[in-house]
Amino acid sequence: MDDRETTTPAPALELRGLRRTFGDKVAVDDMDLVVPAGSFYGVVGPNGAGKTTALSMAVGLLRPSAGVARVDGVDVWADPVEAKRRLGVLPDGLALPERLTGGELLTYWGRFRRMPRDVVAARSAELLRVLELEEAEQLGTLVGEYSTGMRKKIGLATALLHTPRVLVLDEPYEAVDPVSARVLTRILRRFTAAGGSVVVSSHVMSLVEQLCDRVAIVVRGRVEAAGTLDEVRAGAALEDRFVALVGEPEVREEELAWIAG
Amino acid sequence: MDRGMIALKFAMLRNALPGLRLVGWVLGGLLAAATWAVAVGVQDDGVRRSALTLLLAVWTLGGLVGPVLTSGAGVLRAEYFALLPLTRRQVGSGLLMSVFVSIAAGVVLVALLAVAAHGARGGPAAVAAGVVGAVLAWVLLVVASRLVYGLLGAAMQSKLGIEIAGVQFGVMFAAMFAGWMIVSVAMESVPALLTRGLPDGPVTTVLEALPSSWPVLAADAAAAGDAGRALALLGGLALLDVVLVAAAVPLLVPRSARAARRRGRPRSRGLVAGGGLLPASPTGAVVGKEVRQWRRDPWRALESSTALWTGVVIGVLALLGGYTRPAAAFAGVIVAFVLGLSGCNLYGQDGSAVWQNVVGEDAGSVRADVRGRQWAMVLVFAPRVVLVTVPFLVLSGAWWTVPLVAAAVPAVLGAATGAAVLTSAVGVSPGVDPRRRVGPNDANGNIAVHVWVVILAIVVAVAPTAAAIVYVAPRGGAPLGAALVVLGAVNGGAAAWLLGRVAIGYLDRRMVDVFSRIRYGRVFHEDADAGLLDGIARVTLRGEVRAKELKQEERDKRLARARG
Repeated sequence: MDDRETTTPAPALELRGLRRTFGDKVAVDDMDLVVPAGSFYGVVGPNGAGKTTALSMAVGLLRPSAGVARVDGVDVWADPVEAKRRLGVLPDGLALPERLTGGELLTYWGRFRRMPRDVVAARSAELLRVLELEEAEQLGTLVGEYSTGMRKKIGLATALLHTPRVLVLDEPYEAVDPVSARVLTRILRRFTAAGGSVVVSSHVMSLVEQLCDRVAIVVRGRVEAAGTLDEVRAGAALEDRFVALVGEPEVREEELAWIAG
Repeated sequence: MDRGMIALKFAMLRNALPGLRLVGWVLGGLLAAATWAVAVGVQDDGVRRSALTLLLAVWTLGGLVGPVLTSGAGVLRAEYFALLPLTRRQVGSGLLMSVFVSIAAGVVLVALLAVAAHGARGGPAAVAAGVVGAVLAWVLLVVASRLVYGLLGAAMQSKLGIEIAGVQFGVMFAAMFAGWMIVSVAMESVPALLTRGLPDGPVTTVLEALPSSWPVLAADAAAAGDAGRALALLGGLALLDVVLVAAAVPLLVPRSARAARRRGRPRSRGLVAGGGLLPASPTGAVVGKEVRQWRRDPWRALESSTALWTGVVIGVLALLGGYTRPAAAFAGVIVAFVLGLSGCNLYGQDGSAVWQNVVGEDAGSVRADVRGRQWAMVLVFAPRVVLVTVPFLVLSGAWWTVPLVAAAVPAVLGAATGAAVLTSAVGVSPGVDPRRRVGPNDANGNIAVHVWVVILAIVVAVAPTAAAIVYVAPRGGAPLGAALVVLGAVNGGAAAWLLGRVAIGYLDRRMVDVFSRIRYGRVFHEDADAGLLDGIARVTLRGEVRAKELKQEERDKRLARARG
């Protein structure tokens, strides 16, 4: 790296005109998004806004209809190998090799990614311990038998294992208990403090407000607002701003009058 | 794969083309007509009785095995009703009732009513006994059929259940591969059966003890004026019906999935601690992962167990066939061959877990994945091949086949791993995503085309060895035999390497499309190529989409029926 690059590092994640259509439906509509290096970035939006679709294209899991996605300045679709080396990914709701234990999964994943035997073993043991999956490992519990929260944790472990520069996490806190959530947060903060960048998607506003220094609100496949948390909030609570952008369906007094019996 | 040949011959009746479903009905209709023809046309009472009891036993066997082989039986699942305010009993009896409302059940009833025709010669009492008996036997058959299927679904959680399913699929496969042996034996024995009946002996005794024969016996007893015996037989059938229905209703509605089973000891401690027998390379990592999946995943275990039992059943058939005896020595080769079908949908069976292959992509990751999967198949299946080959070689006593078998095994094994992994890459056919699988047919979508691609690829790939075997077999001699074994090994290695190489080349830029087929059910690939592999990919994808549509239609129809 030369001097110029170290002073103005490339964005951790950069989406330019990213687009994905499914038939007639536009899931992601020419999305532009810049995640500065070192930031803890929250992507929020209502269900079906296109968060997962956009992030899938950003990490190389879904071919874009148009547009560019760069990780650390590397085009994900032109130079996937280099981009994927820098990426750690936690997708939402996808299967894993279900018949491995957590430790076996990490061992497989580390060795598959060409990491040395002893490094894989040491990191796997540490990750299992820190993420409190050690007991399950002792019992021989298979990933397929894990609870949803445990799956999130082992997924995060696989995302972290090869020391990526950028973490893209889809709904990392979903179904994670409060104690584990704190552990997760500590790990992610450590990661950004050490110079890494984190992108999380969520529809829990309070969580994003607590965690992230930057945020983007995605509605109907487009980024409706983006910037630092304070810029986007503009003095209000993030949730109010979010609802203002998304639009709230009115519930009039006389509607649902029967609801309480 | 099980769903392979079967998807082809049977499940297709439900799955792929509605036209082929007609074939099933026609076959069933023909068998029903045969049953009636025997009941009406055969003059001798004893002969008619034994032929009829035999046919009824065939109907029972078909009823018990049939639904397992069609992937449609699981269309209506208990969990669809989980949220409706119905008790387990209500859902269970509803599901059970829905089984009676089908054309297949109707055909079975018509066939069983042939017993009444059999009774017609014995007077009205015999006809009445025949009709009542036929209806009772029909209830028994239909409920038992549904029960076996339900048990099998539950049995995917136990080693024994998988093995039972493996035997069933093995019998099915063997019948398809070696059907000519069965047909030739049947052809020789049918005329004798129709003129002389079954010889007295254990076969007849066992046959008449089967509940499926009781309606016939009851009709005969009524004809002979032995009302007590007739009523006892019918009462026995009714009692069996009650017991079976009582057992089926709760079993059809499994309680919500058991909490995570806990085993009391860590697994692969050495591996996780940085050890393990395999090299710590990407390929070694894939081999380790795959061998564990083959061992621990019930659906994979079913595939390997099916391969084993197919070999065993064909071996037994060959041993029983007299002049086919030496062919039994090749039972292990059959296991190796079926491996190609067992592994023809590896990526589809992995389901959405394939995201790891996409995200973990680097310069050699695809190669490591393909080669690792091939090596794992060899490690998992080679012991099974040996396990089947050795006893059948000994039993056949055909020692002259040793060099032929020793050449055929590596050739077929190698070609099969190559064909399997290539077909897996080109024809990704996701079934139910791994965590939601229940029934034995859930792991694959529509793999009707895959089976033919695999068979064709293996046959072409082992052609050199096959030709050499044909040349060497009549000549013999140690030097020729040794050369043959070497050729077989080289052929197998080359086939595995070459087919794997093609798979690697194909997947190199398309791993993301494999994932797309699983996750989105389609490929977002704007520049369509026109090569053979892409052609196969398109055909399999179309089959997949069509199968999904049909399943959805079927589901809607049955839901509507269940509600109405």
